[in-house]
Amino acid sequence: MIEVQNLSKRFSDMRRGYVTALAGVTFHVNPGEIFGLLGPNGAGKTTCLRMLSTVLRPTGGRALVAGHDVARHPGRVRASIGFMSNNTGIYDRMTAWELVEYYGRLYGIEEEALQTRLNEVFETLQMNDFRDVLGSKMSTGMKQKVSIARTIVHNPPVLIFDEPTTGLDVLVARAVVKTIESLKGQGKCIIFSTHIMREVEKLCDRIAIIHRGEILAQGTIPELEERYGQPDMEELFFELIQRKEAEVAASR
Amino acid sequence: MHHRSRSGWRLWAVKAFKRMSYKNTRLIFLREVRDQLRDRRTLFMVAVLPLLLYPALGVGMAQMLSTFSEQTRLVLVVGADDLPDPPLLDGAQGDTRFVTSWFGVAEDSEKLRVLTDAMPAPAGVEATEVAVRERQFLDEAVEFRAIIEKLGQLTRQREALELKASADAGNKAVQQEYDAVFADELHLKQQVDAWFRTGPAQVLIVVPRGFSGLLSEISVGLANRDDVNELIAQTPRPVIVQNSADEKSMIAARRVREAIRNWNQSVLGARLKAANLPASLPEAVDTTGVDLAAEEELTASMWSKMFPILLVMMSVTGAFYPAIDLGAGEKERGTMETLLISPAKRSEIVLGKFFTIMLFSVATALLNLVSMGITFSYLLSMSAGGAATKLGGLTSLPPLASLCWVVVLVLPLASLFSALSLALAMFARSNKEGQYYLTPLLMITMGLAMFCVSPSVEINPFYSVYPVVGPGLLLKALLLGQPIPHLMAYLCSVLLSSTVYSLMALWWAIEQFKSEEVLFREAERFELKAWLRHVARDRDPTPSSTEAGFCLVLILVLQFASFGVLSSALQKSDSPDWMLKLQTIYLIVTVATPPLLMAAMLTTSIRKTLKLFWPGWKMLGVATLLAVLQPLSMEMLARLKWFFPEPSAGVKQLMASVSSTDVHWLLPLLAFAVAPAICEELAFRGFILSGLERAKCVDSDSALVVRLRTDPHGASAGVQCFAAGNRHRHDGDQQSQPATRGAVSLSVQRHARAAAATQ
Repeated sequence: MIEVQNLSKRFSDMRRGYVTALAGVTFHVNPGEIFGLLGPNGAGKTTCLRMLSTVLRPTGGRALVAGHDVARHPGRVRASIGFMSNNTGIYDRMTAWELVEYYGRLYGIEEEALQTRLNEVFETLQMNDFRDVLGSKMSTGMKQKVSIARTIVHNPPVLIFDEPTTGLDVLVARAVVKTIESLKGQGKCIIFSTHIMREVEKLCDRIAIIHRGEILAQGTIPELEERYGQPDMEELFFELIQRKEAEVAASR
Repeated sequence: MHHRSRSGWRLWAVKAFKRMSYKNTRLIFLREVRDQLRDRRTLFMVAVLPLLLYPALGVGMAQMLSTFSEQTRLVLVVGADDLPDPPLLDGAQGDTRFVTSWFGVAEDSEKLRVLTDAMPAPAGVEATEVAVRERQFLDEAVEFRAIIEKLGQLTRQREALELKASADAGNKAVQQEYDAVFADELHLKQQVDAWFRTGPAQVLIVVPRGFSGLLSEISVGLANRDDVNELIAQTPRPVIVQNSADEKSMIAARRVREAIRNWNQSVLGARLKAANLPASLPEAVDTTGVDLAAEEELTASMWSKMFPILLVMMSVTGAFYPAIDLGAGEKERGTMETLLISPAKRSEIVLGKFFTIMLFSVATALLNLVSMGITFSYLLSMSAGGAATKLGGLTSLPPLASLCWVVVLVLPLASLFSALSLALAMFARSNKEGQYYLTPLLMITMGLAMFCVSPSVEINPFYSVYPVVGPGLLLKALLLGQPIPHLMAYLCSVLLSSTVYSLMALWWAIEQFKSEEVLFREAERFELKAWLRHVARDRDPTPSSTEAGFCLVLILVLQFASFGVLSSALQKSDSPDWMLKLQTIYLIVTVATPPLLMAAMLTTSIRKTLKLFWPGWKMLGVATLLAVLQPLSMEMLARLKWFFPEPSAGVKQLMASVSSTDVHWLLPLLAFAVAPAICEELAFRGFILSGLERAKCVDSDSALVVRLRTDPHGASAGVQCFAAGNRHRHDGDQQSQPATRGAVSLSVQRHARAAAATQ
């Protein structure tokens, strides 16, 4: 469902000159699977996922999402993914229902089917008690639910969540994680990025640890534990990152 | 790819339109409109403000106008007893005033309070602090009498000398006398001013002693047909002291003069009657003015001054706030990326937003006009006649046909402003930043709008293709009631050019929206050092479009700055030799230097940046052909003369200098063929074009347009001059001809090469 080959991104920065945000990453994600991108802030997770959602153009390598090349058919890619991140806010002057309906229409869903789907989504996510509340009046939890509803309204085969739980309280974060879990059960192909270890252990089938734009290690959790002889994922994460930092320092 | 081929360009446009889904654009448009309508700020700006503003302004203005003139001002009269009959002052009702009948509007008499030395000093209840101070000032004025009379004499003397000096320029004796009188006058003036400005009075009149007696003596002399010239020359004149820098004093003095002028007529009438002469004697040639303007036309002329400026300013304001909200606001609120990951294309998103902004821009402009119209007509109906004069002569609303033109012309204005402000607002990261970026647009527009309403500016072919100015001037012409068939050609050119500008601005907005740097600009600290290091370190073979734009601005700024230097240098010497040298230097400094320096500093390949490639044989052939066909192109240019405004005197002088025989033949060649060709090629088809090409947007035709736009005179005058020079050489010096031809082909060949490359 998602095929990423040697994907890289460089951009020009005033202070640092040309910066490599992503230095050729390769991975794939299958349907019915949750793939975790684990890395500290600034590792390149968001850049990678923005390229998968076609918001940014890759400067090297290629990526296929649901069979479409992100560089050549960005429209088709966008139609077949649901994307949610910290940066995908909701409109203040629109109600929950209006917002999800609006995006449903942008995805080109027929009006009748859309209404059925909206009722279904609002039911599943338990959003009916605030369907006519304006975005500006919603609590963080409500906003997050609206975002999820917006992400899945067109029932896309691929879902991309970029740090969906950052800044949420425990209860809301837990609800989000539960929802993602249930989406996996529907056979979706899901990428999930985070810097929180617990969520990875709970949700992900396979993970990739990413730092300084490179994938340091990837595989299932038992595989990684076995490969590095470290049963604690958190410790493993730190070890890998420290090793990379030492490499960088040595090469200077 | 050196040049984007023209067919490729057309294909791109077709594809873009085919791929565009109007459904998504409509969806986005409807959402944005609803969003804006739910925003209190926008609603306030677009609907509430205009509906409240004009009625409030109307009421406020009427109030202020009525209260403003009610203030009374104090006029002091020294020597009131010596005023001749009929009476100028009227002291019947307790306090002294000017006699009402000396004013055009009788109420004006109420606005001037008079204090004379003939009146008794205040005593008892009347002796308030103010009254005592005023009396004291009057007493001081009496002491100053001699000085003021002397000052009056000096002023008369100076004015007479001024006339003499201007009639007899170069007469040293007159000039010296004038200077002496001027110095004396200034000295006395300062003395009087130091005293007068501390006082409570706005105007002071000093009547010479025995003035009335002297006047009647003259009258008697005249009646007896005696020679009274000597007597008149000796008679001292009353002096009116005022301070024009003080508005209160100026207005009071204007009223005093009006009264005295009318009173003077009456004194004169009495004198003529006594001498048994006709009352019309002072009017030897008594003309009668006949004004053909109907009342509606006067009104139309008023509206033609008000509507264009209001329409332009309101359509830009109407675009301003929604654009910030839809562009920068969306980024700031973090909903931009949500929209970007939807299947809607960037162009659809921009179009949806553009139509929203345009709707609000048009709505704001029209609502403002409607509200203003209603307020005015209401005020007019309330006070027929009297108030109309206060409202600037507006007696009726403009005719319906004119109002229809307003609606037609608001569309090109609104579309240009909407696209421009959207592109600028898209670049901004936050609402605040958006306002910073859009303020220059507002300022420039204001300047252009002011230009449109300047009295003598009329629409012509050249102005009609200018953005903002074209629609503004056309609307002015239409409101003035100029015949519509005559304006039809202008209407076409205005609408066409405005459409082109709007499309360009819209395309720019879409490009902005496609650029990752613009969409995901991070807020970073700006450091000059870091930026300079970045510019020096991260160089590309060719410049960026921003650098190209900067180069153009730099050229314009340099040309503007050199105007002063150039004109003063030209004034010093009018030798054609020097003028031609100056023209060459001017071109090298202002046009060639910026691209050369920038290419050396900002790019890694000067050759690629300035497009220094050797032309192929084919191009050389085309160039030679064009050189041979030069008379034909001259003919075509002569036919285009109507389009360009009349060249300025300096340009004409410059052109004339080419034909003069005492210039070496190389100079005109250098100034009008070699220098412009090389300098402008380096700048426009070199640096600027390669910068724009990197943004993958331009064909080289556009660069030529830019060139023509910046310098229509240079372009036309240059060729004309060159032709003149060429002809002259042809007559005079046979040997130089091949060289001249060579230069033509040099200049033409570059154009031909580029033109061929685009096809």
